[in-house]
Amino acid sequence: MLSTLGYLALALAFLLAIYGVVMVLWGVSQKSKPAIESARLALILLFTLVSFSLIALLIFLVTDRFDIAYVYSVTSRDMPAYLKMTALWGGQSGSLLFWSWLLAGFSLVFALRKWDNEKEMLPWSLLVVFVSLGFFLALNVLFESPFERFWHMPDGQRFLSVFQPAGAWPLTPEDGQGLNPLLRHPGMIWHPPTLYLGFVGFVIPFALAIASLGSGRRDQRWLEIARPWTLTAWIFLSLGLVLGMRWAYDVLGWGGYWGWDPVEIAALMPWLSGTALVHTALLQRRNDSLTRWNLVLIIITFSLVIFGTFLTRSGVLSSVHSFADSNVGLPMFIFTALVTLGSLGLLFSRWQKFDDPEVFEFALSKEVLTLLLNLILMSILVICLLGVIYPIISDLFTGTQVTVGPAWYERITGPLFLLLLFLTGICPLAAWSGKQLTRFGKSFWLFGLFSLAIPFGAWLIGDVHHGLTLIALWLAGLAGILIVSEYFQSVIRVRTRQHEKWANAFWLPIKRHHRKYGGLLVHLGVVLMSLGIIGLEGLQKETQVTLAQGESVALADYQFRYEGLESRIGEDGISITQAILTVSHDGTLIEALYPQRDVYLNMGLAVTQPAVRSNLARDLYAILVEYDPDLQNTATFRIYINPLVNWLWIGVGVMTLGTLVAVIPERKKKSI
Amino acid sequence: MNESVSKVSKSNRIKFIVVGLLFLSAIIFLVISATQATAQFFMTVREVQETTKDLSGENLRVSGAVLGESIRYDSENGLLQFTIAHIPGKDREIEALGGLELVLHQAVNDPLNPRLEVRYDGAKPDMLKDEAQAILTGSLDQEGVFIAEELLLKCPSRYEEALPEQAE
Repeated sequence: MLSTLGYLALALAFLLAIYGVVMVLWGVSQKSKPAIESARLALILLFTLVSFSLIALLIFLVTDRFDIAYVYSVTSRDMPAYLKMTALWGGQSGSLLFWSWLLAGFSLVFALRKWDNEKEMLPWSLLVVFVSLGFFLALNVLFESPFERFWHMPDGQRFLSVFQPAGAWPLTPEDGQGLNPLLRHPGMIWHPPTLYLGFVGFVIPFALAIASLGSGRRDQRWLEIARPWTLTAWIFLSLGLVLGMRWAYDVLGWGGYWGWDPVEIAALMPWLSGTALVHTALLQRRNDSLTRWNLVLIIITFSLVIFGTFLTRSGVLSSVHSFADSNVGLPMFIFTALVTLGSLGLLFSRWQKFDDPEVFEFALSKEVLTLLLNLILMSILVICLLGVIYPIISDLFTGTQVTVGPAWYERITGPLFLLLLFLTGICPLAAWSGKQLTRFGKSFWLFGLFSLAIPFGAWLIGDVHHGLTLIALWLAGLAGILIVSEYFQSVIRVRTRQHEKWANAFWLPIKRHHRKYGGLLVHLGVVLMSLGIIGLEGLQKETQVTLAQGESVALADYQFRYEGLESRIGEDGISITQAILTVSHDGTLIEALYPQRDVYLNMGLAVTQPAVRSNLARDLYAILVEYDPDLQNTATFRIYINPLVNWLWIGVGVMTLGTLVAVIPERKKKSI
Repeated sequence: MNESVSKVSKSNRIKFIVVGLLFLSAIIFLVISATQATAQFFMTVREVQETTKDLSGENLRVSGAVLGESIRYDSENGLLQFTIAHIPGKDREIEALGGLELVLHQAVNDPLNPRLEVRYDGAKPDMLKDEAQAILTGSLDQEGVFIAEELLLKCPSRYEEALPEQAE
């Protein structure tokens, strides 16, 4: 009964989205304000209906309603309640519903803002929002309903349907299939919703850009309203990507975090263009330049978001990320094409109106560095795209499929990422054009020389001889010092010139220029993250070894001693085998590692659980590769020492904090 | 005066274009050199066995069905050996033949199917078993044994079944 209601609520929400589209179009053509207002208010009802469906599905998930196909496919009785709730986004149709719900929620908050100063933009914004909602709800209603139930006929025939077919009886399986144990990890549980928040968040800047184009309002208003949405979407996208890395690092057990998998790339691409947008928006605010380019960037970003969901959901690519078998591929492909072509078409029809003044002067200024940043980010994006479609192109032209792997991406993007790291440090310090020489003074060269101590130290003490790694360490050090010194300079300025107390001197610059210092903090976060990446890419040490009980192996300054094996049958029929490795550093015992292998007896599935002990300097990471179950006296381990990895996770925290500081709304409004 | 302004902006524009072109040519160089060094040719087992080209040393990517009884693992030295049997390279062909599970099953049980011996220096993955699909990257040695550097495995999952087998 509730399942039918849940479905009907979704169907009604879909009709409301169509109603919204019709009312907006009619309102614009008839210049009828009430029609637009009615469309806007319809969003409240639409959100309520989608929320009702969502809550209904959550209730089914928690109460083990296995007669509902979705619940059957993603949960089982042995799962704790919170995991059952997060199974909401564990499969195709549930995650689509979750997506639609987020989209409806964002749209509602956005539509209910005051539009007094930009009345002409409201109808266009609503149109974009309703079209997107209509599309995703249509997928949920027509192709992938989370409320389909199992039925069987007296003759034993079984099928799936939302409504009870004539003469059929409900079929309730005893238990569900459960969640793949590999996915039962906090990183994997929060990775999809975080990513969705990022993806869905970009719909608002996109709607505003289309509204700006559609209404012909050429000023920067759309960027200004979009700013908090863009930054929020951007940080959620960043967090989503890093949570995925964390999961890969903790669970997959190859000591890595990023595999250049097509679906990873699909999520990275909108991040790249979104990052470019965050920076070029500053230029448009500053001197009204790059109007068209900013519009192009948001159109690219939103199209890539839809393209990314298409890649993951259509089953075009087979990868750990995709939902197998799907019937939403074609409609999603058509929608992606329509969004991209439609919005680019609109842009070209307004091309003359949205012209840019030619303001850039060739110099080492903030403007030119930002242009360089754009060039780098877009190059990485094009390389990613090229890598994904390379097999298809080569097959078309030569008949042999040529694929490119992580090594290909790393070789090309490595130098580009180093250049980005360099810009991370100097870009915020560069002055706007005309004043550049006063700011890049002696201190820059001084810091440049000073920070050389880091690679030299790494070379002499840390025994690092790899050229690129040393350069990366130097650039990270330089960027970090430049950013921190920029902040302290302003602290000292406030202290000495305005005679403030120290506590105020630390706080006032941030309070007065929260956008600037928020941005600096984000950059500092990026520098910290780069340390973790340098650690994994350039400084990782690894070995694979078979040890008899009591034997030990040395790696870097650490000795790993194999003490023995323990086996037990855990809850939910998991057979756990755990090895004990004690770790000594220079002869003193410091840690014990317990790498284990879990065999899920009821699923016939073995999972290797790495043991990780980490501090700020390094992670010790051990995997139990194999063991002899009869003799218990030999076991094979793969052991990694991953320096600096923790800074990757800390850095993303700093980045989030910085974004928060940057988006805090100003208390006093300067403009009307 | 107008002329001098346009001259300045012209030389300004040329500087941007020159730097931009330098940057782009550096990227194109990186792409070409990386492609030459790391791109992999995707081949089926049959193509590897029947080609007349000398493949030794080339970066290859080969997919095949794992023969369960051929798996040997020397955990002392971390050396894994097994044999794979030919399966079609394109997903569409596999679908047309009745799906991955069936194709893998038939590939393993057909003695006339071309086979390829594989050596891998590393851990034995959990999913390496009879009738799993192995996707290997690496190269051929002189004796025609495939030396894998990377090993990816896929099992047709029972999770993909749409309807439950049993019901109470």
